[in-house]
Amino acid sequence: MAEKEEARVGVFICHCGTNIAGSIDIMDAVEYAKTIPNVAYADQYQYMCSTPGQGKIVEAIKEHNLTGIVVAACSPRLHEPTFRVATKEGGLNPFRFEMANIREQNSWVHMHDKESATAKAKDAIKIAVAKAALLEDLIPKSVPVEHAALVVGAGVGGIQASLDLASAGIKTYLIEKWPTVGGRMSQLDKTFPTLDCSQCILTPKMVDVGRHPNIELMTYCEIEKVEGYIGNFDITIRKKARGVLSPDEATARGIVGGGCNGCGDCAEVCPVIKPNPFEMGMAPRKAIYIYHAQVMPLLYTVDFDACVKCGLCVDACGDKKAIDLEMEDEFITLKIGTAIIATGYNLMPIENKREWGYKQFDNVITGLEFERLICASGPTGGHLIRPSDGETPKSVGFILCAGSRDNTGNGKPYCSRFCCMYSLKHAHQIMEKIPGTKVYLFYMDIRSFGKMYEEFYYRIQSEGAKFIRGRVANVLEDPQTRNLYVRAEDTLLGRPVEVECDLVVLAAAVQPVDEEDVIRKHFGVSKSQDGWMLEAHPKLNPCGTTTAGVFLAGVCQGPKDIPDTVAQAEGAASAASIPIHIGQVELEPYFAQCMEELCAGCGMCIDLCPYQALALVDRSDGSGRKVMSVTEAKCKGCGTCGGFCPGGAIKMQHFTSPQIHAQIDAFLCGGEQ
Amino acid sequence: MAVKKYDNPDLEKKLHDTRYHSIDTNPEFTKKVLDISRTIANMCYQCGTCTGSCPSAPRSSYRIRLFMRRAVLGLEDEALTDPDLWLCTTCYSCTDRCPRDIAPTDVIMAMRNLAFKRDIIPRNFLKTAQLIYSTGHGVPNNDVNRAARVKLGLTADPPTTHSYPEFIPGIQKILNYFELKQNADRMLEGE
Repeated sequence: MAEKEEARVGVFICHCGTNIAGSIDIMDAVEYAKTIPNVAYADQYQYMCSTPGQGKIVEAIKEHNLTGIVVAACSPRLHEPTFRVATKEGGLNPFRFEMANIREQNSWVHMHDKESATAKAKDAIKIAVAKAALLEDLIPKSVPVEHAALVVGAGVGGIQASLDLASAGIKTYLIEKWPTVGGRMSQLDKTFPTLDCSQCILTPKMVDVGRHPNIELMTYCEIEKVEGYIGNFDITIRKKARGVLSPDEATARGIVGGGCNGCGDCAEVCPVIKPNPFEMGMAPRKAIYIYHAQVMPLLYTVDFDACVKCGLCVDACGDKKAIDLEMEDEFITLKIGTAIIATGYNLMPIENKREWGYKQFDNVITGLEFERLICASGPTGGHLIRPSDGETPKSVGFILCAGSRDNTGNGKPYCSRFCCMYSLKHAHQIMEKIPGTKVYLFYMDIRSFGKMYEEFYYRIQSEGAKFIRGRVANVLEDPQTRNLYVRAEDTLLGRPVEVECDLVVLAAAVQPVDEEDVIRKHFGVSKSQDGWMLEAHPKLNPCGTTTAGVFLAGVCQGPKDIPDTVAQAEGAASAASIPIHIGQVELEPYFAQCMEELCAGCGMCIDLCPYQALALVDRSDGSGRKVMSVTEAKCKGCGTCGGFCPGGAIKMQHFTSPQIHAQIDAFLCGGEQ
Repeated sequence: MAVKKYDNPDLEKKLHDTRYHSIDTNPEFTKKVLDISRTIANMCYQCGTCTGSCPSAPRSSYRIRLFMRRAVLGLEDEALTDPDLWLCTTCYSCTDRCPRDIAPTDVIMAMRNLAFKRDIIPRNFLKTAQLIYSTGHGVPNNDVNRAARVKLGLTADPPTTHSYPEFIPGIQKILNYFELKQNADRMLEGE
């Protein structure tokens, strides 16, 4: 462990107000630090991250001719970048900095044991100094960024993110698994609290994404493979066989003036009938179909699982020759710089809550089914009926928190955040459309926290909806009348209550879409405890992820209503456009390095690498032998190869074996090697 | 806080302060209930699913949700002296449906144990303890039952301690360990 120069380490201990100083004796730790080998200077300050705190580092580097800096403070996730900048300002390479976490991993967990906490802090400082003494200058690499972005999911979040990116001059690929853009918002009748028609405010944006010159809309497509890294992702898209050619695709095949114009002649003659998922299965569609009249793009789609290939549609289409029943899936490769995931949500399978009778009793429906039944363009033309007999309901019960705020494992522990508000809206719509209908909302808490939301709650109360504070225990059905008996406790009266309803609407909890795990793993994005995708920081980086260049928008990150989804989408678009506009990204230089003279070229590390960053190449000395080579931009510095290499030929920069050995020695032998 | 006196016991009783005061809450009680029931009553958010599911509630003044509240707040006297405590049928519907994954039935059972330690227990429960001690049954067989059983082609007595009284001493040994019979006898003395 020969050192090229005498190491002179400066140690700075932060009080963090009382966060650290409350449970660690700072002055004792400073005095101790001065006794550690290689420490040339030790100091403390109230808030090291403040301007004067950083100034201390800059000054000390110059004054004491320091070669390495240790700050004992909070987690490096928080302020490592701050102190690196200070180290650089003092004239040192920024990677000459090491952090000792004495807050999250010490003072906060040993709040009532000052003596032990102080002893532990001393150990942490000693270990950090051991590494700081051996730190080397590192130069970050820059890689160019592809001037294009990908957005996964074309609901309102994906649409907004795409429009923002495209308007900022970035080529944007918008991928959607459904045959049309629009997502959940296009299924809604009205939006709270303004009662805007959902389709009316969304369709202009749907049309915009269809004709924006910078947006390439790819509906009925799925992500097949993701390779690469920030700035240079290679995305393979599966373009599912649609069976129908767009006018452009028809032209490419030499069919002049052909392709689908959305006339619908094909669906008219198609003999196969299937439930339409857009209408929550409550209306029929054909095997060749569009979801609804306002689809974007206006292209029919063949459901090849249902199609009997009778060919009637091909005849009906005639000279346009838009239908190709032999079409197969295609694979398209895209090069993009950054990506936004906006995959949205599904309702949880609320039939698992047997006590509420969904899928046992016809007249128990979900909130999304209600949206379609009350919507003028829905299967009933906007006439609310109850499914068992088509009668107009005279009393409707709403069960809030259906599966949300549920710790049993057969539900979701979180609040789904928009069910209170849409249930209020449903109550309003019923009272408006069917005067005289009684509305009961069974609730635990009405969470009307947004702008003009509490006022909306007030309005629905004044319109006469009955609010019963109690979670519903069970729903029973009278087999003759098919009426439902909703049982709960009116907790405000302290009495059990039974309400007879014609129709019961479950405000079912939301959960991630089925494909979430697959998409998440393609992009290397983590999952939080509740199943949604994990943001980089819940408060300070809500759009980012732990994968550089991949961002989140909308409900895929956690339940959100439309305003919050749009806001996050705009945030994600802004974040995703930054590396593209800068044109290059700096990568942390933590990558593995092959020491050619030690590498035997066995290649065993290649398959171990989780990031496909390694390859065998010809040795530079022309001997014809192979050595391992690292694509530095792909390497995440995980150390899998370095830990495995039988010849010790792989050096992990910033985590070299001598540095790690020194840390272990410092801890176990008190620094005496 | 000082309370105004009326120099009239009847009036004072009628106008007594019904607030609960911080002094009425006993954190030890909350902890004892937790230790015995092994369920986390303090996670209760008072949704009422328990009372809504309770077969006893529509026919009585028993509100299991209120007992959960008393457990959380440590309102020991209020919980243990409320005769409703003994109206739970232990059907476990509330436990089945509780969204917080609490077992309210077990909270009730814990409170009954604590009440018994303070000699707060309805007579019929003590009588039941005595009957189990003497016959092995809380509800022993009777002539009407015997006739019905014979009519159905069964033996007059079921194949329990009624047919095998030699197992009664074993049951008595268990009850003796918990001093259940002795306590029941003591409390019912003179009846």
